[in-house]
Amino acid sequence: MAEVRLENVTKLYGRKAAVRDVSFVCKEGEFISIVGPTGAGKSTILKMIAGIEDITSGKIYFDNRVVNELLPQERNVSMAFETYNLYPHFSVYENIAFPLRSPRWKKSFPPEKEKRKVEEIANFLGIGELLDRKPQFLSGGQKQRASLARALVRKPEVYLLDEPIAHLDARLKFSTQTLLREFATKYGSTIIYVTHDYREALGLSDRMAVLRRGVIEQIDAPEQVYYYPATDFVGTLIGEPPINLMDGEIITRDNKAFFKAGKDFSIQVREDLADAMNRVARQEDGKRITRLGIQCDDIKLSRDKISDNSFQLPVYAFVHEAERSVVTFELKDTFLQVRTTERTECRVSEMFWLDFDQDRMFFFKKTFEITKA
Amino acid sequence: MKTLKPVLFWIAVVLVVFLFIFPILWIFVTAFKLRADILSVSMGKLLFFTPSLESFEHVFTYTTIVRELANSAIISVSATVLVMLFALPAAYSFARWNTGGGHLLFVTLSTRMFPGFLAAMAYFFVYKDIALMDTHLGLMLFFYYFNISFATFLLYGFFREIAPELEQAAMIDGYSRFDVLRKVVIPLILPGVAITAVFVLVFNWNEFLFSVLFTKINARTVAVGLAMFWGSIEIQWGPMCAAASMAVLPTLAAAWFMQRYIVRGLTFGAVKG
Repeated sequence: MAEVRLENVTKLYGRKAAVRDVSFVCKEGEFISIVGPTGAGKSTILKMIAGIEDITSGKIYFDNRVVNELLPQERNVSMAFETYNLYPHFSVYENIAFPLRSPRWKKSFPPEKEKRKVEEIANFLGIGELLDRKPQFLSGGQKQRASLARALVRKPEVYLLDEPIAHLDARLKFSTQTLLREFATKYGSTIIYVTHDYREALGLSDRMAVLRRGVIEQIDAPEQVYYYPATDFVGTLIGEPPINLMDGEIITRDNKAFFKAGKDFSIQVREDLADAMNRVARQEDGKRITRLGIQCDDIKLSRDKISDNSFQLPVYAFVHEAERSVVTFELKDTFLQVRTTERTECRVSEMFWLDFDQDRMFFFKKTFEITKA
Repeated sequence: MKTLKPVLFWIAVVLVVFLFIFPILWIFVTAFKLRADILSVSMGKLLFFTPSLESFEHVFTYTTIVRELANSAIISVSATVLVMLFALPAAYSFARWNTGGGHLLFVTLSTRMFPGFLAAMAYFFVYKDIALMDTHLGLMLFFYYFNISFATFLLYGFFREIAPELEQAAMIDGYSRFDVLRKVVIPLILPGVAITAVFVLVFNWNEFLFSVLFTKINARTVAVGLAMFWGSIEIQWGPMCAAASMAVLPTLAAAWFMQRYIVRGLTFGAVKG
């Protein structure tokens, strides 16, 4: 296993940048997830590490060797593809054994050892009974696990996993996630894992990187990313429902700072937060506008007035979860979603008092337009 | 209505099968008839007759049909091999790297966009000057020219079916490009190669116009040979059918071989799902 280091890596397709100036280190034995929406450049990063995409500029190191110029077969990596890419003319066994039979590794894997390795990983992933089948006779989930087994059968410098459990059903996804975590811990594997599902990243990785249009917006421990999103974009990507974002005016009255969005909704911002708020403020039509973010669990909801700083809004819609409820309120240009601590019965247009937890309020620079969708 | 539907269906099937099978069947029937029975107007003799090898004897004794069959075999097989030898790498390169940005593939195909006879005229004058008329090599080269674009385009489609990611996966698994070709690409393209080769082979075997133009005696192919039975005084139906019954055998074998592959060839590109 090796440490993988990316230094200012950029990938251009024509004049369009798929990956821009990305740098990070994946230490030996570390499990890093890359999260981002479709087209953010996640897979491109993996493909550049694997050597199947050229690097436009920048350097990739394994330990302290630059691997930019090495061919894929010389890099000693293994990769699971989102599209499986099983060899259709081979059985599942032959597919998994294929990397062990390559000219480079053949000598280290005599037939008995090869058989033991293949059966071990296949049983580990629960596809031990499918070894004789051809890929065309497998379901999507079975294909995906076969493709994962092929990637995990050997010990390379780094495992590159591209959405390796995206096509599994919910139950299998959970159990395979547990297996992957077990695998990573047991073998101290360096793993770079790409997903569009923040929950996988939160559950599996030591650190996660959030990618947007080829740029890393935040890279940190999962709980840090979850509790302290660095940008408004990271906030919307992580969490279900995602963070509430609202643009509002900063008003200063009697040396006190207020955040005002629409006519019904104005809160006093605590003094120590005013700095953070002013730092990201922008001028719009002569007003000072800022963007406030607060997660749905950090808003208190009550039928009675909670504090001097609470305000009233009518219920727009609500959804019950097993033990909690998510209540939606309408603001001028967005919706505000609040998750209650217990299941709450309510009616549409009923008035509720809302109170923001000021320790959990974030002020962001605006990087995209808020829409009501 | 319920009983009528299957009846109509089977009538249609029989009609269609009859339409396709009858001419071939009739060649074989006629080949084994006596000369008198062939020309007989009595309805009974159409199907009920004493089989005879008279026509075959005639063919083997008085004509050069064996040599023509051999000529056809030599020319069509060697032209097919040559075509595949060049079409395979060309198609792979077009499919994988879009060599020539699409223009080169178009130029290749454009050789099929005008009547083949135009090209044949050019070949005719050149062949006359460099003594390639009535030679196996001459006809083979022309068949090569005529088939290469078609074969390249067909194989291009088959190569396109193989996802580039499959080759990338194999490279990551530790195989060089050559090994990837050997272990992954070639086994997957095999049905496509079989279909293409059979198409080219059957075309070469049956080709008449260019064969008649470029060959006389030495390299005369069986298609031309068959036409020789059509004389100015009479048509030798019996010997013609006897020779034809032998000439269609390779084509029938090819058709039988091909039907197993065509279904597979059209569906083997399923990677995801």
